[in-house]
Amino acid sequence: MEKKAGPLFYVFMVIFVFIVMFPFIWIFLSSIKPSSDLFGDNAFDWFSDEPTFKNYVSVFTNYPFLKYLWNSFVVSSITTIYTVFIASFCAYAIARMQFRGKTVILGLVLSVSMFPQIATLSPIYIILKNLGLTNSYIGLIIPYTTITLPLSIWILVVFFRKIPHDLEEAAKIDGATHMQTYWKVIFPLAVPGLFTTAILAFIAAWNEFLFALTINTSDNYKTVPVGIAMFQGQYTIPWGEICAATVVVTIPLVIMVLVFQKRIVSGLTSGSVKE
Amino acid sequence: MATDSNKPKIDKCEKRTAYLLVAPALILILVIAIYPVLQSFYFSLFDLRLNDPQKADVHLNYNVDLEQYFYYYPFLVDDLTEEVKAANGTERSRLKKIKQNLQGLDQNIRKDAKENYQKVKEIHQNFESPSTSLSVVKISDKTAKSFQSTIEKVNKQLKQISNDNELKNEKDVIGLANGLKGVIFEPNYIGFHHYAEELKSSRMWSSLWNTVFFTIVSVFIEFVLGLAIALLINKAFFGRGLIRATVLIPWAIPTAVSALMWKFLYDGQYGVVAKFFSEIGLLDHMSALLSSKAGAMFSVILSDVWKTTPYIALLLLAGLQVIPKSLYEAASIDGASKWKQFTNITLPMLKLSILVALLFRTLDAFRVFDLIYVLTGGGPANSTETISILAYKVMFSQTNFGAGSALSVIVFICVAFISMIFVKVLGSDLLPESSKK
Repeated sequence: MEKKAGPLFYVFMVIFVFIVMFPFIWIFLSSIKPSSDLFGDNAFDWFSDEPTFKNYVSVFTNYPFLKYLWNSFVVSSITTIYTVFIASFCAYAIARMQFRGKTVILGLVLSVSMFPQIATLSPIYIILKNLGLTNSYIGLIIPYTTITLPLSIWILVVFFRKIPHDLEEAAKIDGATHMQTYWKVIFPLAVPGLFTTAILAFIAAWNEFLFALTINTSDNYKTVPVGIAMFQGQYTIPWGEICAATVVVTIPLVIMVLVFQKRIVSGLTSGSVKE
Repeated sequence: MATDSNKPKIDKCEKRTAYLLVAPALILILVIAIYPVLQSFYFSLFDLRLNDPQKADVHLNYNVDLEQYFYYYPFLVDDLTEEVKAANGTERSRLKKIKQNLQGLDQNIRKDAKENYQKVKEIHQNFESPSTSLSVVKISDKTAKSFQSTIEKVNKQLKQISNDNELKNEKDVIGLANGLKGVIFEPNYIGFHHYAEELKSSRMWSSLWNTVFFTIVSVFIEFVLGLAIALLINKAFFGRGLIRATVLIPWAIPTAVSALMWKFLYDGQYGVVAKFFSEIGLLDHMSALLSSKAGAMFSVILSDVWKTTPYIALLLLAGLQVIPKSLYEAASIDGASKWKQFTNITLPMLKLSILVALLFRTLDAFRVFDLIYVLTGGGPANSTETISILAYKVMFSQTNFGAGSALSVIVFICVAFISMIFVKVLGSDLLPESSKK
C-alpha cells in the first residue's frame, strides 16, 4: 500500500482539508464582519469591505466571557491533575502487579466509561444541591471524575505496559520497595504517558456540557461551552459575538492540537491496536 | 507477559500494595458513578417532583414534618383556648371538642416521633431551623390517616362555626388549621408506574426511534468515510502532519461550540451551508433545513459526521499502520487483486480497531445530548428529540425527577445492552494484554 502520492492525491487532500476547515474559516470571516455584512445582502460574501474587531471587544465587555474561560480553566485543570494522579496509581497496580480481581476492575472501569451521563445526573444534582455545592467549582469537579478517571486509567494501563520490566527487576534486586520503584523508576519513564493522559482528560473536562448546564447555572460559575451556548437570547441570536467567541475558544485548541498531535493520537488509539 | 506468569506465587506484600493503589480510584468510581446509577433507579420508583414540597424527597412511609407542625399546632391550640373562653353555648362545646381532637392527635405524633418531638420543639422555640433529618420523622400509617381525616374535619367545622358566628381571631384560626394539612408527607413510592407510563408514551418511543436512527445512520456514514480517509492517508506523503492536525481540530473543540457554529451555517436566512444546499437543489427553501423534520435530522447527522469522522479515521489509521507490509507483498506476488487484498488482509487485520471504534462511537452517539440540545433543542415538533434530551427535559423543565430518572434508567439499559453485544463479539480482546491470562 505504500506508494508515492500522485498529484491527484494532493488535489484531493486540499479539497478534504478545505471541507473540514470550512466551518472554521467561515466563522472566522464572519467574526470580523460588521453586523451590516453579517446579515442582509452581503451575508454570503467571503470578505467584508470593512473588517472590524467590534465583535471581539463586545464578547469581552458585554458578556462575562473572561469569567467563563477562567471557570473552565480552573475546573478542567483541577479535574485533570487529581484524576491523573489517582489513575496513575491504579493503572500502575493493574499493569505491573499480581493480584486477584484485575480483570473485574478493568471491566468495571471500562463499563463506567460507557455509562450515559444522563443516568447519573439526577442523583448527583440532588446530592450537590443538598450539600450546597451547585454553582461552585467543586460541584463540577466531582461529577467530571466519572468521565476523566476511567479514561485516564485506561490509557495509563496501556502506557505502563510498554515500560520494560527489566528496570523494575533491577530496582527490586537493589532492595527498593514498590513505592520507591514507582517514584524513582517507573514515574520518570511514564511522564510522557501521564502527559498524554492529562491532555485528553483536560479536553474531555473542558468540553463537558450536560453537568455544566445543570449544576452551574449562575454566570459566575458557568463554563465556556455552556456560556457560549447561552449567548442566544430568547428571540435574538448575537451571531457576530458568537462567532468571535468561537474563534477565541478554538485558537488555543488549534495550537494545542498542532503542538501535541502525536501524543493525542497515541492516547486516542491506545488499546485499540495490538502491537 | 512471560515474566508475570513465571512467578508461581503472588507475593503477599505486593498484593497489599496493589490493593492500596487501586483503592482510591475504585472508591471514587463506586461513589461517583455506580452509586448514582443505583440511586437513579431508586428515584425512578417514586413520584418525585422538585417543585412540590410534598414530593421533593423520597418517602417510603408516612412522615410528619415537625418543623412545619410546630409552626401551626401550638398557635392553633392557644388560639382555640382563647376562642373557647370567649364563646358560649353549643359553640363553646364544639370548639372545646375540636381542641381535644387536636390534642389527641398531638399525643399520637408525640408517641411516634419519640425524642425528635422534644428536640425539634426546643430548636423551634429558639427560633432556629432543625435539619431535615431531625425534623422529618416517620409516623405510623394509623397516626397519619387519623391525622389527615381529623384535620380535614376540623377545617370544615371551623369554617362552619365562623360562618354562623363571629370568632375573635377568625383568620388566624382558619389559616393555622389549613396549614396543618401540609405537615404530613404521604409515601410517594409508586413502584414501576413510571416505567409503565413511559412504555405507553408515544413521545418516549419516538425519541427512542430518533436516537436509534441517529445512531445507526451517523455511525454508518462516519465509519465508511473514516475507513476511506484512513486508507487514503495511510501512505507517506508531504504534509501528513498537517492532515492529522486538520482532522483533530473538529474532534477537539467542544461539541456545544461546534453545534453553535453549524447552527449559524444552517441559518434559514443567512446560513451559507443552507444557501449552498438550496442552490444545488437539495432544498426547496433555505429555511427548510432547520424547520422541517427531515431537514433537522439531516443537519444534526451532518454536524455529527463532520465532528467525529476524524476520530474514527485516526483509530483505523493506527490499526492500518501495524499491519505488516510483507502480507501485501506476498499477496501481490500471488496475484491477488487490490480488492482481494482489502477483504482478505486489511479487513481481518483491522477487526479489533474497527470494533473498538464502532463500540465507542455507537455508545457516544446513543447518549448524544449537547449537539442536539444546542442545534435544534429537539425540535421541530420533537423530530430530533433523543431519549437523553427527553429525560433532561422531563427532569429540569417539568421538574419531574421520578419520570426523568425512569427515562435515564431506560437509556442506561439500552447502553448496557449495546455494549454487551460488542463485548460478546470482542471478548477479552478489549482489555489490555496484561489482564489476560
